[in-house]
Amino acid sequence: MDTQPAFPVLVCLRLLLAVLPLPGQDLLKHDHQLSSPLTSYLRLNEGLWLLENNINPYTGGAFHHSPLLLSLFSTIVPPLPIIWAVSDAVGAWALLRIWRARQGLSPQKGTRSNAENLIVSVYFLNPYLLLPSLALSTSTFENTLTLLALMFASEGKVSSALLAIAFTVHLTPSSILLLLPILMVLVSSPVSYLASPRPFHGNLKRIPILFGEFTLYWLVLVGAACIMAGGSWDWVRASWGASLALPDLTPNPGLWWYFFTEMFDHFRPFFLMVFSVHLVIYILPICIKFQHDPLYAAFLLVGVLGTFKAYLTLADPGLFLSMISLFPEVHGYLRHPIVTTLLHLHAALLLPLQHVLWVSEGRGNANFYYAASLVMGMAGGAGLVDACWAGMRIAVGDATVWAEEKVDGEKGKGKAIWWEVVQQ
Amino acid sequence: MNSATFANTGSGFKDPRKLSFERDWIRRTVLASYWIVIILAFPFWWHLTSIERLALPTSQIRLQVQKNIIFPIAVHFDASITEQNPNLNSRVQTLLRDSAINEPGRWKGVDLRLQDRNDEASNLYTVALGEQTSIAHSRHLRVNKTDAQSATRLSSILSDLIAPPESSTSHSQRVVQYSNHYRLAFTLLNEGAAPNRFVETWDVQAALAEFIFPLISRLSILHNFTVESQVQYYAPLAFEPKRLTFGDTEASGLTQEDLTVFVNSAEWTLASSVSNDPVLHFVLFAPSETHSPMSIIDSEGRPTNQYSFLLPQWGSIFILNNEFNSSSLHLSYNDLKPVFCNFATQLAALLGVPPVPLGLSMEESSILSDWQLDALLRRRAFQNVQGSQDTLHSIVKLVDQINNMPVGQVVRDDVLDALASLHEAYRTAIASPALALRWSSRALSMASRAFFNPGMLALLYFPAEHKYAVYTPLFASISVPLVVALIRDFMAWRRGSQDDGRR
Amino acid sequence: MSHYALFPLTLGQILREYAITELHLTLNAGKWNYDNWGHPHEAGVGTGAELWAWMGVSEVTTVDERWSGLRNALSGLFCASLGSLDTRRTLSPTVAFPLSGSTPTFAPHELRHASLPSENVCTENLTPFLKLLPCKSHAGLAALLNPQKVFDADWHGMGIHVIWKEDAGVELKLTLQAVFNPVRTSAGKRRDWNLQSLFDRTIERPCPVANSSSVTVILPEEEDHKITPENPTYADGLAIYGLSSSSNFTIPLNIGMHWPSEHSFHYPLPPLTPVAPLSVKRTIHGTTQTRGVLSVSVTNNSPQELLAGYLEMMPALLTLWMHTLKVEINSQLRSDLLSGLKYHPPSLQSNDRLSPSMLQAVLTIPPKTTLKISMEVNKAFLKYTEHPPDAMRGWDLPGAVFFPLPQLSHDTCSSCDWERIYTPTLLVDLPTPDFSMPYNVIILSCTLMTLIFGSIFNLLTRKWVVVEIQE
Repeated sequence: MDTQPAFPVLVCLRLLLAVLPLPGQDLLKHDHQLSSPLTSYLRLNEGLWLLENNINPYTGGAFHHSPLLLSLFSTIVPPLPIIWAVSDAVGAWALLRIWRARQGLSPQKGTRSNAENLIVSVYFLNPYLLLPSLALSTSTFENTLTLLALMFASEGKVSSALLAIAFTVHLTPSSILLLLPILMVLVSSPVSYLASPRPFHGNLKRIPILFGEFTLYWLVLVGAACIMAGGSWDWVRASWGASLALPDLTPNPGLWWYFFTEMFDHFRPFFLMVFSVHLVIYILPICIKFQHDPLYAAFLLVGVLGTFKAYLTLADPGLFLSMISLFPEVHGYLRHPIVTTLLHLHAALLLPLQHVLWVSEGRGNANFYYAASLVMGMAGGAGLVDACWAGMRIAVGDATVWAEEKVDGEKGKGKAIWWEVVQQ
Repeated sequence: MNSATFANTGSGFKDPRKLSFERDWIRRTVLASYWIVIILAFPFWWHLTSIERLALPTSQIRLQVQKNIIFPIAVHFDASITEQNPNLNSRVQTLLRDSAINEPGRWKGVDLRLQDRNDEASNLYTVALGEQTSIAHSRHLRVNKTDAQSATRLSSILSDLIAPPESSTSHSQRVVQYSNHYRLAFTLLNEGAAPNRFVETWDVQAALAEFIFPLISRLSILHNFTVESQVQYYAPLAFEPKRLTFGDTEASGLTQEDLTVFVNSAEWTLASSVSNDPVLHFVLFAPSETHSPMSIIDSEGRPTNQYSFLLPQWGSIFILNNEFNSSSLHLSYNDLKPVFCNFATQLAALLGVPPVPLGLSMEESSILSDWQLDALLRRRAFQNVQGSQDTLHSIVKLVDQINNMPVGQVVRDDVLDALASLHEAYRTAIASPALALRWSSRALSMASRAFFNPGMLALLYFPAEHKYAVYTPLFASISVPLVVALIRDFMAWRRGSQDDGRR
Repeated sequence: MSHYALFPLTLGQILREYAITELHLTLNAGKWNYDNWGHPHEAGVGTGAELWAWMGVSEVTTVDERWSGLRNALSGLFCASLGSLDTRRTLSPTVAFPLSGSTPTFAPHELRHASLPSENVCTENLTPFLKLLPCKSHAGLAALLNPQKVFDADWHGMGIHVIWKEDAGVELKLTLQAVFNPVRTSAGKRRDWNLQSLFDRTIERPCPVANSSSVTVILPEEEDHKITPENPTYADGLAIYGLSSSSNFTIPLNIGMHWPSEHSFHYPLPPLTPVAPLSVKRTIHGTTQTRGVLSVSVTNNSPQELLAGYLEMMPALLTLWMHTLKVEINSQLRSDLLSGLKYHPPSLQSNDRLSPSMLQAVLTIPPKTTLKISMEVNKAFLKYTEHPPDAMRGWDLPGAVFFPLPQLSHDTCSSCDWERIYTPTLLVDLPTPDFSMPYNVIILSCTLMTLIFGSIFNLLTRKWVVVEIQE
């Protein structure tokens, strides 16, 4: 594979990070921003220990990982840090291939452009992605699988793409949001039509067939998981149920945990339903509006997940932020990139600070961290809204002249006329 | 600002109206897809927040509450009586009818007829001529010649037997509330336990077998009983009894006021609250040396020869004044005879067994005649029916008044069960008072179980204002853009179709 | 039909109603200092309330239904909050809490065990306890039990033990233990004591229905003490005062001991040699509110190798990370010393509550060494409705239990003779939410969500226009 020098260098660095003993790694593993109860390395190890000692890991209420991960790490490889490094490398490579597919380039032969270097670096060096990966959070695998699904979809490899998304949905059920755009990419093309939108260009009749294939893969995975879990269905409640019923209220940068910590018992099931439906409600509108560029719709839905998901970790907004590099065409049309960036910076500083103040030092209280998570929510929302705006705004195009003088006939006065593109 | 002039300018912008995603149908499907998801979520909303309020059979309850349980009773005068006095039948009938009109409370639920024919119905009572006026076996009454002549005397005996008077208020307060199951706790209480001045053992089993078990086995169609006995030491009184001196002997006396505070519930452990069944206590109290002998005194301070007293709805107390010799740490069966004979009478009184009318004797040495038992069955069944009707009525009223009160499947089932049992009670009253009582008891327990169901209190203290405070922040602000967009698009669509029409 | 003479009816009713074969209830205050005080006469000295019962399996009601009924009945009888010993605290550790009486053959038996370390023991519990005695507190030894004095002791606890024996029937044992410190209460720092000074009472009269009642004084090894009255029965370093009517003691009886030659008592200086063969320390350390390390160090004071059963019953609000379990001696890993490890993670009960987790293992402790067990723990984040009203106080965790196991070597040793040991309870503080926030959080979170939702909705449904701005 012919790539830019950045890729091998960064892969090496990442592998080095995995092999070298890092001083603060124990702290990272316990950090609530980097791994949630659903993705925590500590709980994965606990599950492996329980499995080894012939105890059903799913009874305890502490283990929420999929049985597939459990059997992977118990039989094939132990959960070594190097696997996370490899996963990161695969993720970066997938991002690169998506970029090439979108640009209409051969997947093997990239251009020697700086853009490719940038994409790879943005993935490897994004702290939102790097830190969870160093904390050995399994969200790294979820991100890599999401990117692989998008990559295979962009390259038109139907079965691989569907298998990858089936895996992702199996690991985190909320990734079901990405299914429809991926199906749409498969039947149309990943090439950018943002600037020149056109009605949906693909065979819609294939979508049900592809969906059937996805369901088949997914069922096979569920069956496999059941066999691995010893034929019992406990894992469904423990792993999938967790992101619907939120049994563990460990703080995270998302919006769910404090809301449901403080919620009255009577309204709890109702609001759990509202929060889940709120995620699903974005699928159709975004896919319909961005039918000319389903890859962009997928990108927006990744942004939705990175803001509103249950058990959010930094890896989720991290994926969205890194994927921005795939769409350089919209960068010029972002409405308030500075504000979004500052909000993210603000959140990135506030979250660990308030977390330490409350949890470690006991000098603050839960409201401190809640406020920081609200800032994080605002940052995620601002990024999402901005990306959505830019994706449509680009279609209107630029003014060739910025302003023109218009001579008012009657009064003989010159008037400067500006244009502005707005929504009404 | 003017967007209409856009096409004329050479600004370089594309016309937004010509963009593919700006087409009306796309905007409308986007809007529709939002609404579809919301509408699909509505059933969940309903399911997850609605308070379970199953409909209670209100009209059925109203209907049942108005009904009354009626026990038809037939009395047959034997030919030996009617031969001598042919119009006795009608005279007794008139007198009884008058009595029923004068005292409606006493005759409630009883439908008495005098019958000529002697058929073998279960609710038939027979009056025949005998040596002396007495209650005979299985619903027979023997009257002597003089009584047989007098219609007044006959009607009074009959009404006392069939509808025993309830006039004395003490009676109704004394009788314990009906329960399917009672615990009888017999306690031997030693006030002190000075050496050789206390009772250590008693022949309670023999005494129970002789006096209590025959009674409770007779009453077993009304109640189940659990019998327990215990011996307690150091059971002090909560007050100091009056000192009495008669010559050189000293005694202590209990005034009427003392009797009301006699039970020292702080120091005596008589029974635990292990179940909800009512407990009837029978206490044999052995006073300590300083208080012995102990007697109940009348208002003038003179000791009476009464050694026991009854505490309404609680039980009975007997004061033991046996002289102890040094070896008598044991109460023999003979010592216990008067005590348990008394306890048996008190137990019957507490359970509301009607007394044998004055001047009437029992022919056989049975504890309880069928006349008494039937009257008790009828009264208890009548009370139970009334109690369950009141409870059912209260449930309906409460549920009507409080909109937040959940009514779950359990409550509904209990109410339905109570109603069905009531219905059965009405039905079986004609044939068998015992069956009617069983059904009425079931109706009462089901109705009160429904009434006290803890699930009905779940949301009583969550006012509606709080509910708005929980819903508004999300739904007010989400629904505004959704609804506005819907209206705007609808207006645009109408304008568009009008324009089309005009063209 | 049941007749009670000496056995209390109130307790008998409960035992019959719930068909209890064996029952143990202890209510203790303070922590028992095994190192200085040795083993108690009655092993159940865990802080707070502890209740365990063996019940036969029957078809009419389940064991759990009866267990719940038993809890409520006993909490009514003893005015204790045993009702809160619900499924969140109930386990079945059969090895550590075996049947003490006969093993019934009529039905398979099950154990239920629960403890409540935060239970405060006070007069309300003592009064019903005394009422179970035939003579209550009016006569006999129980007359000494003056609540004001008993509850002032360094340690005090009461126990109700019901044991079923096949040949003898049901046996009830009521125990009350207390550790007094006469030096603390005396003005001149002397260790002289007598019943009057300890209890403010003397034994006025024997309980007439008692077959035997006696006071046993364990005599100190030094010689310079005097004991009054001076005519007890001496046996094996004990002085025994029998209270039967035939004895020659004057009543009221006021037993006392004094040290005539000692001016004031000086505590022996540390280090003291522990009295018990096993000393245990258990702590949770870690500074954050979300995790910590539970470490237990067990010291074998005897010259022989000891086998000890180790039992943790941890409420589900603390998660044990079993994969971090380490067994060390002098910072060297010695996993071989821990065997027979059994771990039950918390399990979801029918009422959506989690039962405690149970960890049980056999420790082999070499002579005169300290074994250290440690594992990481996670503290749960609870809903705001699940916190108690005094949430900032923290949560009491029950102590661990160490129990003797049959020794591998058959040589009998006196120091190996020990009974169940309870470690002191632990207090953990859990991270708390702000209890005044529910509506604020609803408003803030919902506003943020609708803000983003509304923006996206508007972007997707509004029309794009190019407007001229004229100046």
